[in-house]
Amino acid sequence: MVFLEQAIHVLYFVFAGIIGWFLLRNLFKRASRPGIVYDIVYAYCVIPFLLRVLFIK
Amino acid sequence: MYLTTSLILAAMAASFALASWKLKSPELSMAIAAVVGALAGGLGFPTRILVEGLFTNLDLAILFVCASVFVNVYSYTGAMNAVTRKLVRSVDSKWLLLVFMAIFMLIPGALTGAGSVSIFVVGTLVSTVIRYMGLSEKKAVAFVFVFAILSAAAPPINLWTMLMTAQANMPYVGFTKLLALPILLVGAFTIVYLGWGAKRESKEKILAELPEAPEGMNWFRILCPLAVLAGLILLSLYLPFSVPVLGLPLMFVLATIVAVLCNPRKATIKDYYELIGRTMEQVFPLVATVISVGALVNVIAATGVRGLIGITFVTLPIAWIYLTALLFCPFAQGALSYGSAIILGTPLIFLFNARGMNTTVVAAALSLIFPIGDCLPPSRIVGRISCETVGYAGSYMSFLKQIALPVLLLGALALAMLVAPNSFSFLK
Repeated sequence: MVFLEQAIHVLYFVFAGIIGWFLLRNLFKRASRPGIVYDIVYAYCVIPFLLRVLFIK
Repeated sequence: MYLTTSLILAAMAASFALASWKLKSPELSMAIAAVVGALAGGLGFPTRILVEGLFTNLDLAILFVCASVFVNVYSYTGAMNAVTRKLVRSVDSKWLLLVFMAIFMLIPGALTGAGSVSIFVVGTLVSTVIRYMGLSEKKAVAFVFVFAILSAAAPPINLWTMLMTAQANMPYVGFTKLLALPILLVGAFTIVYLGWGAKRESKEKILAELPEAPEGMNWFRILCPLAVLAGLILLSLYLPFSVPVLGLPLMFVLATIVAVLCNPRKATIKDYYELIGRTMEQVFPLVATVISVGALVNVIAATGVRGLIGITFVTLPIAWIYLTALLFCPFAQGALSYGSAIILGTPLIFLFNARGMNTTVVAAALSLIFPIGDCLPPSRIVGRISCETVGYAGSYMSFLKQIALPVLLLGALALAMLVAPNSFSFLK
């Protein structure tokens, strides 16, 4: 059980990484909501995912 | 102190309104309001507060993404089309089908405590079916929204009540009937109110318009992903010490894997990769909203505005609390999400307890008022998801007008419970 819980804990870091990757990809290349306003929104929304993946927070 | 904090609040509200008007992005407007609030409060450019705030709702953002990926993959397999066809073919009565759709909407939210989960899991299916029952797009989005907020308040999991009772050292016991009865009344009213006058299209016409279900899609393939999801949720609820803590996002991911395995059509990894990319674009406004709200709430707390709002409300004379509860509590929900239960709910429980009123009924009443705010700014999370799921193209104000009556009825019932809690204690 302890091992499983730790594995799940790591999985959530993986999820954060995958979502962060897609946000980063969409920051540079996306079909909807073009323009600098959403560039800024994408840019700051990536921050928590990146920090989580890098084990900073 | 009051004056300074009130001025900060005014500066934040003005900057939010101005940014919303000029930039047309509620997410960035919230971030700007947070920065303006911090500057007005003398905190300088609050990098640490903002970055910490971005993490407040990170789990919720991950949940939204995982739930959306599940729903989109499930729809991609053709299961949604198949189940819609089967439902339309086998149930003739409009009212019976509306009741089924209402129950479908209530279950996921009642089990998870989040109305948005109901919309993600069954919102598309429900909106498709009720549109064929003759409900307009506006009525369909109202149906989805009202049942989503009712599902969040429905027992066994009502997060507002759980948070309030945990803070007030009360047991989470005796809420089932207190919550279920008003929800059933409002649910029945909503079905009649929205379904009245709607003319069901002929079965043949509906079936002709609906996309064909893919070959090989049977009940097993349709139900398997949903059964896995429901099974995992029930396991975590009723056998919490026998299964590891999975968390809703992982449950959705596991159900997505099952949906992929049950797909009768051939699809490559690239197809799924592109599907997830599209889903991310689709769900991004919500992700951005919950992340921006976190930053805004952190600044609201740091500048003392949160305390100002909470203290101002709970120190009002009791008659004023009754008069303004339907205004303050929903707007607090719009700004603070579940935090509203802690900031306003718990002090109110102590206040009513000191007056000898039944606190179980009070907590239930408040937890029926808070969900109303899920359609209010700045976050409007459930309202926005409802509009996006149904594909509602009308203005947000017209959506608010459509939901006004059922929501007011819910508010009136909750207010009656709040004003005379001891009269409702027989429902405990």
